[in-house]
Amino acid sequence: MKEILRVEDLNVTYQTKSKSIYAVRNAAFTINQGDSMGVVGESGSGKSTLAMAVLRLHDEKYTEITGRAVFDEDRDLISMSQTDMDELRWKEISVVFQRAMNSLSPVHRIRQQVEDIYRIHEPKASREEIRERMISLLKLVNLPERVYDLYPHEMSGGMLQRTAIAISLLHNPKLIVFDEATTALDVVTQGQILKEIVEMEKTLNMTRIMITHDMSVVAESCNKIAVMYAGELLETGMVKDIFKKPCHPYTQGLIKSFPALKGGHHGKLTSIPGNLPDLSVSCKGCIFADRCDRAEKKCFEEKPSYKAMQNGRNVACHFAEEM
Amino acid sequence: MKRFICRRLITGILTIFIVFVLNFLLIQAAPGSPVTTLMGKENHDPEIRAMLEEKYGFDKPVIVQLGRQLEMLFHGDLGDSIIQNRPVGEMIAEKLGPTIVLGLTSALLALIIGTLLGVMAARKEGKPVDMVVSGTQYVFSAMPQFWLGLMLIILFSSNLDIFPSYGMTDARADHTGINYVIDVLYHMCLPAITLTLTLIPQYFKIAKSSVLQVTNEEFIQTFKAAGMPVKQIFRKYILRNAILPTVTIFGISMAYLLTGVMLIEIVFAWPGMGRLMMTAINQRDYPTLIGINLIMAISVAVVMLLVDIIYAKLDPRIRYE
Repeated sequence: MKEILRVEDLNVTYQTKSKSIYAVRNAAFTINQGDSMGVVGESGSGKSTLAMAVLRLHDEKYTEITGRAVFDEDRDLISMSQTDMDELRWKEISVVFQRAMNSLSPVHRIRQQVEDIYRIHEPKASREEIRERMISLLKLVNLPERVYDLYPHEMSGGMLQRTAIAISLLHNPKLIVFDEATTALDVVTQGQILKEIVEMEKTLNMTRIMITHDMSVVAESCNKIAVMYAGELLETGMVKDIFKKPCHPYTQGLIKSFPALKGGHHGKLTSIPGNLPDLSVSCKGCIFADRCDRAEKKCFEEKPSYKAMQNGRNVACHFAEEM
Repeated sequence: MKRFICRRLITGILTIFIVFVLNFLLIQAAPGSPVTTLMGKENHDPEIRAMLEEKYGFDKPVIVQLGRQLEMLFHGDLGDSIIQNRPVGEMIAEKLGPTIVLGLTSALLALIIGTLLGVMAARKEGKPVDMVVSGTQYVFSAMPQFWLGLMLIILFSSNLDIFPSYGMTDARADHTGINYVIDVLYHMCLPAITLTLTLIPQYFKIAKSSVLQVTNEEFIQTFKAAGMPVKQIFRKYILRNAILPTVTIFGISMAYLLTGVMLIEIVFAWPGMGRLMMTAINQRDYPTLIGINLIMAISVAVVMLLVDIIYAKLDPRIRYE
């Protein structure tokens, strides 16, 4: 299968006047064409930072990025020039942001904004051409034609999020990043939109990264998962494997803290005690050791390396095999 | 929109009416009386006082006086000044022109310069340019208008002798046509500079903070992610969103400028509304004061209506139903 994005040893460091914050450390994963990978983790775990680094949307003044993110087998997004990156934007990689209510300009009609975005890469496109394209995309996300001439405030949150998804599809990109794209919606709308996204993917053969803190979103709409904690990917692999048998204590904790998807009880919901560690100090041992109930002396002294397990799974835990 | 304008006109007229009545009553409640001014300091003759009070109707109950004022107002008559014995309407008409010329010029200059500086400072935030410009703005916004006026007079009139220090025209020359316009502009330089310099900071601050705020909005990220050139994002999306608060500030500031900039007019002996009002207050010239207050109320109401209409055109989120 064709590789769309391969991230290798990605580090993102925020520089402030007094200290450095290591927001993402040694991240590595691969996404193939047609994959949909959910990146999960609690607030502040660095999942959005990871996405922004790959999209090169961070503030360059305060951020330092090392490592590689190879897109479409031959282009490194991290070392690429700004001009080359602009050429790639929306045409091959697009993004849907978290709060749909704020992701479009409030004083311009959808039409004006879509025309401007479309013409970044197709400066000569006619109004009719753009209208036709957008309306076919609006149909795809189950919105009526009239949405095209509305202002953002004239729509509901769900409609706006669908519009944002339609806009992200304008140039048929190879990769779409959903940065908490359904978080602000109610559960019913979220469910519908997830279903539509999965349907769409089948017809368009698109590849997706889904940044979320909601395990159920990953379970419903993704085939791969990357569990992130305090800037590190603790476990990556196929959704069906990991949900069946999580190998990292943190993944186990995450899964236990969400209600079962399809009715029935699977015991009491538990939370993971403690808080995220301070990201400005580098950690000698396992980053999760402080909160892990299975941690032993070795965990505090030695950083666990990725253990490759079957079906492309990677786990960063000394005791992965024993779980 | 039409219904909104009709409704706003009606509420505007009501407001003006209420302001008129309140003004009338408040002025009556204040100590002192125009009769005292007319009689002079040394004169305490109760007979003359009674005669004057009867002449101007001050012996009647307040409510009757108010009724008479309102009746006159409905006929478009603001009454006569007690002190100067001239129609108030004529006096105001004479002074309104100079005030509008000075106020409007300064307000427009301040709007343009302040907004441009604010936008520039926002784009260069934290850089030396921003620090110098922002620092200067703080100095000017902390400076009293009259003091700045006096300093400019000392520098440009007394020492350098470039600009005239008082008046609107050269009283000795009898200019007409284009020469008259040039003469007025020449005399206006110092007061306009003073006023503009002290008005700039409010536009500067609002433009800068507004641009910075919009720059951090999420939809700007969307356009960046789409690869839109920074210049286009700025011109089309940031400016359009950031300009809205400036309109409000301009409207409010305009409304108050039309009623005269008292201190500036006194410092530069500018024959405008501000000086007229100052004199009227000192002499307790009731009809003149009431007339000036009425003009103030009307100008505030009209400008606010205009601001609302412009705002509705600029921001589609505002619907006046």
